[in-house]
Amino acid sequence: MKIRTIKYMISEGFTNTYKNLLMSLASVSMVIASLLIFGIFLMITINLIFNLNQIQKDVEIDVFLKRDVAIMEADAIELKIKNDERVLRYERLSKEQTFYELVAMLEEDSRLLEGLTPDFLYEQFRIHLKDPADSEVFSNELSTMAGIDDIVFPQELVNKMSLILRWTNVGTVVVLVVLLIISVSIIANTIKLTVYARRKEIGIMKYVGANDWFIRWPFIIEGMIIGLFGAVSSFVITSYLYNEVEAYVNQEAAAYGISNVLRIVPLGTMYAQILFVYVIIGLVMGAVGSIISVRKHLNV
Amino acid sequence: MIEFNEVTKRYSNGTIGLQDATFRIEKGEFVFIIGPSGSGKSTLLKLILHEEVPTEGEVYVNGFGIHDMDRSEIPYLRRGLGVVFQDFRLLPNKSVYDNVSFAMQIVEAQPRDIRRQVPIALALVGLSKKARVYPHQLSGGEQQRVALARAIVNNPSVLVADEPTGNLDPATSWEIMKLLDDINQRGTTVLVATHEKSIVDDMKKRVLCLEYGHISHDVQKGNYTNED
Ligand SMILES: Nc1ncnc2c1ncn2[C@@H]1O[C@H](COP(=O)(O)OP(=O)(O)OP(=O)(O)O)[C@@H](O)[C@H]1O
Ligand SMILES: [Mg+2]
Repeated sequence: MKIRTIKYMISEGFTNTYKNLLMSLASVSMVIASLLIFGIFLMITINLIFNLNQIQKDVEIDVFLKRDVAIMEADAIELKIKNDERVLRYERLSKEQTFYELVAMLEEDSRLLEGLTPDFLYEQFRIHLKDPADSEVFSNELSTMAGIDDIVFPQELVNKMSLILRWTNVGTVVVLVVLLIISVSIIANTIKLTVYARRKEIGIMKYVGANDWFIRWPFIIEGMIIGLFGAVSSFVITSYLYNEVEAYVNQEAAAYGISNVLRIVPLGTMYAQILFVYVIIGLVMGAVGSIISVRKHLNV
Repeated sequence: MIEFNEVTKRYSNGTIGLQDATFRIEKGEFVFIIGPSGSGKSTLLKLILHEEVPTEGEVYVNGFGIHDMDRSEIPYLRRGLGVVFQDFRLLPNKSVYDNVSFAMQIVEAQPRDIRRQVPIALALVGLSKKARVYPHQLSGGEQQRVALARAIVNNPSVLVADEPTGNLDPATSWEIMKLLDDINQRGTTVLVATHEKSIVDDMKKRVLCLEYGHISHDVQKGNYTNED
């Protein structure tokens, strides 16, 4: 395509968007609305994943050894843990270490432990897996080894988390697809009005021998302008609202002392990626909407 | 140049638009298509433009087989054809000049060629002075001249006009027909569907007469009411 043709198409696209200002604005606001709803789901997903990851980091498997475990047995267990691919990191805690941890945890109540010695406690492995979802299988494998008294991990939590993660991802994708379809059909309707208003012009273009792409491009550009404006506005609104919510929730959480459980993720560098995603979605919606609505009128 | 071979056009609702039409039009001819309303004049022209395709038979226009043609070829067929309608079909928001240059822009002509060709086409139809005016500021006859300028600006080898004077008074109709004749003199094949009895009789051109979709007469230097 020639440069002046591209110039012509872009200027036509802008002119038409402007001539149809009211309809264009209506479409832009629909794009904004859809992307806002999408944005809410996206933000919820991001926060869920972030918080779940936080929680997952804290998921640990505690392996308590028998009080009378033989050194050889304990070493064999450590070797097994050390060589397992699924293990992110582990600690081997002596009876003394577990005892002093307990003392530290109880603080002033540590008087309760008076008269007791570390021998009263167990030697222990504290294991963090790369994927906590493996916890059950891993524990079952380990439990066959000699010298283990008990293995403890938050099974319920692990199961629930993998379930939540899976459904959140599915939910976001479903919401995205539904909103895309709605927005595309709304843009298609706007462009259809432009196409209808300009059907005479299209007819003349066809009679003079313009090819289909030449006719299509200005409408596609019009759709993309609508999509782009919608995407950028929606991004601005989304990030503004997000910042407000972030500040409010984090402040309240701090006030109630639950900052460690409830925390809104600062988006930081993710803003650029989110803007990118919005813009791509907006442009694609606009282009697809236009192509759909022009198709019918090209068969002259 | 233009060839119809036993062409029948049956519309999807069963109406016959054209039946068993066979004729040939050579390069440089001027042909009137006449006949009562509904006799198939517009159908014949639409087949030439590939606005409709024949149900049976073969249509050849400038080497394109209309009956068997790829969609992607249609623009190239049409670049060799100029077309004028009864209702002018100008773009109201474009000036006279832009209405004409538009036809060159959309076939991606060189700007240099556009600047040269558009004034020539406007001069040919006698509208040089009205280049900056908008269609609503023109009379019907002037609007049809703009349409004519647009139809010839890309130098088509065939000009197709469907009742180009249908909305015009007799004097203006004459002017338009004269222009069509001028264009024909410059080498363009011209086909005109019309009801203008007196003009057809006076111009002594080839006349192709349709009745109920059939070609009833095809006479050189004919009259509107030709009894052979
Ligand atoms: N799109 C269509 N669908 C069905 N029938 C049609 C269609 N177009 C034309 N016809 C029919 O085909 C026949 C020929 O129509 P056509 O338009 O060619 O006539 P015409 O000679 O141009 O008439 P007029 O002088 O009134 O313009 C008519 O009976 C008409 O009703
Ligand atoms: Mg007709």
